Amino acid sequence: MAMVSLAKPDNEKRNARRRPVLSRDFVSILPALLLVLVFFVAPVLALLSRSVTEPVFGLQNYIALLGSSTYLKIFFNTFFVSVLVTVISLVIGFPVAWTLAIMPQRWAMVVFAIVLLSMWTNLLARTYAWMVLLQRTGVINKTLMGMGVIDQPLTMVNNLIGVTIGMTYIMLPFIVIPLYGVIRKIDPAILQAAALCGATRFQSLRLVLLPLAAPGMIAGALMVFVMSLGYFVTPSLLGGTANMMLAELIAQFVQSLVNWGMGGAAALVLLVVTLSLYALQLRLFGLAGGERT
Amino acid sequence: MTPFLQITGIAKQYGPVMAVKDVNLTVDHGEFMTFLGPSGSGKSTTLYILAGFEQPTRGDILLNGKTILDTPSHKRNIGMVFQRYTLFPHLSVGENIAFPLKVRGWSKAAITERVRQMLSLVRLEGFEDRKPVAMSGGQQQRVALARALAYDPPVLLMDEPLSALDKKLREEIQHEIRRIHQQTEVTILYVTHDQEEALRLSDRIAVFSKGVIDQIGTGQQLYNDPSTRFVAEFIGDSNFIDTDVVSVNGRFARLALANGAVIDGVPTHGTDFRQGRASLLLRPERIDLRLGKSEGVLPGAVREITFLGNHVQVSVDTQLAAPVDVRLPFGHAALGGLAPGLDVSLDFKIAETHAFQLEDRVPAS
Repeated sequence: MAMVSLAKPDNEKRNARRRPVLSRDFVSILPALLLVLVFFVAPVLALLSRSVTEPVFGLQNYIALLGSSTYLKIFFNTFFVSVLVTVISLVIGFPVAWTLAIMPQRWAMVVFAIVLLSMWTNLLARTYAWMVLLQRTGVINKTLMGMGVIDQPLTMVNNLIGVTIGMTYIMLPFIVIPLYGVIRKIDPAILQAAALCGATRFQSLRLVLLPLAAPGMIAGALMVFVMSLGYFVTPSLLGGTANMMLAELIAQFVQSLVNWGMGGAAALVLLVVTLSLYALQLRLFGLAGGERT
Repeated sequence: MTPFLQITGIAKQYGPVMAVKDVNLTVDHGEFMTFLGPSGSGKSTTLYILAGFEQPTRGDILLNGKTILDTPSHKRNIGMVFQRYTLFPHLSVGENIAFPLKVRGWSKAAITERVRQMLSLVRLEGFEDRKPVAMSGGQQQRVALARALAYDPPVLLMDEPLSALDKKLREEIQHEIRRIHQQTEVTILYVTHDQEEALRLSDRIAVFSKGVIDQIGTGQQLYNDPSTRFVAEFIGDSNFIDTDVVSVNGRFARLALANGAVIDGVPTHGTDFRQGRASLLLRPERIDLRLGKSEGVLPGAVREITFLGNHVQVSVDTQLAAPVDVRLPFGHAALGGLAPGLDVSLDFKIAETHAFQLEDRVPAS
């Protein structure tokens, strides 16, 4: 009891000391908050509001959007491409992250530098580079034909293959980085213990490594999936009209058709899906994302 | 009869470094054998070779007369408890113990029964559904022990499993390990750098130094009859006194101390003394101290008296290079009148001393 009564005033004192600091902090970030509010939140809200006010007040844009098979196909395609890119990124990203985690620190840093360097390179430049590589007269087709593997050039741009390759390439670091963090925290002695317990390599992977890496995998996968849903540049350059994605549709509504109402409605649908997934991630893993719970 | 476990001429080289130079050892079935040595002496590397995490550069390991070197870790059927906590953090205590049985394809009923047995062996009944993070270090190591013993391995390896625990807990778990060893009769190879732990637990101790085993024996043999200066230093406390070798007669030497005293019949283990110099071992607890000057071998003056509970350590300045430490049991007759600066004389039984080569002052590569 004595301890409780002693501790209490101390706590209050600490709180009293902290409160002014907090409000001072708030004042100092106010300009930044205002900036975000005026130049970011307000325009988004304005755009979204146009989805229920143009051409007249009502839900007609949403009915048109969700009632048309053309648009539904684009929704489906957006999801399909995002799932595909996420899964392929995971399948490639896991061994990459694992290799990075077990290779000597110095070499891992070199590989990381290369990955980061490519991330900092302009997105358009990287996407055009893939166009050059993948096109009918591109390096890949020429090499394969030269080696006699194929007679006819493969069609790898303006279709699903092109989009998938281009987007996977761009998304890969977003899987590898959180996964690397999680895998590096796994003590190698745990895998040695699994081996001595009699687990084959595959059993160790399935029963120990994958469950331990799961938080990083889910965090990375959600991140890639959410980013893929709203991706514009790569699908529009490497994809074809047959597999248009939602962001392209929004751009078309706004730029070509000047239909702000439909554009706003499509944007809201995308925003709702994205925020729901983000909420799911927060619920499952908290703010830290890759942290083990 | 073929020995149970036989390690012959094991060597392990990492780049230019020989971590293990030449390790030879025979272990009996059911024996508790401890590898004792400082870090870098090759004891852990030898254990890792046994576990199959490392391949030896040379040599062989035979279990019941058959080599195990071409068997990968997961097929060796060897149990191991590690220095760090290696329970699978995503599995409960019960699932951890069940893991080796599950990968061996045991039936559900057999696994449940075995997990129950193992939990009772390590006295953790009722902890089955706990996650490792919700347990203390000592409890985690007991679960690790249960996991390593669940599949009845012929050999259990333990790599400093208690080094992360505090002293009191360590002693408690040492008793548990001893009890479990007696109960299961599993052969245990135990690595530690703690001589007290080695003495407490082992049937025999192999003292590792610089990639080889200096001596193998029971704790008493190592203490009473150390074969090298290193072993003498590592087991028990010791004073080392530089002496001149007067003559060597078989396995005994006649040595001259710096104060002019000459002692005869010092056991040498047949050591070949370089440059006529030898290092004389005096155990602090085997030296007797008497008040006043006398004809004792080592007259001197008290430098410092340290009370250490059940005994008193007295540091005595003699005419030798370094002070000699003497350990007197609580209640020793001389303790009453002892004070710094007093004249005393030290005496010891020559049969309880040993002469070794002077320490190699060149650091080993």
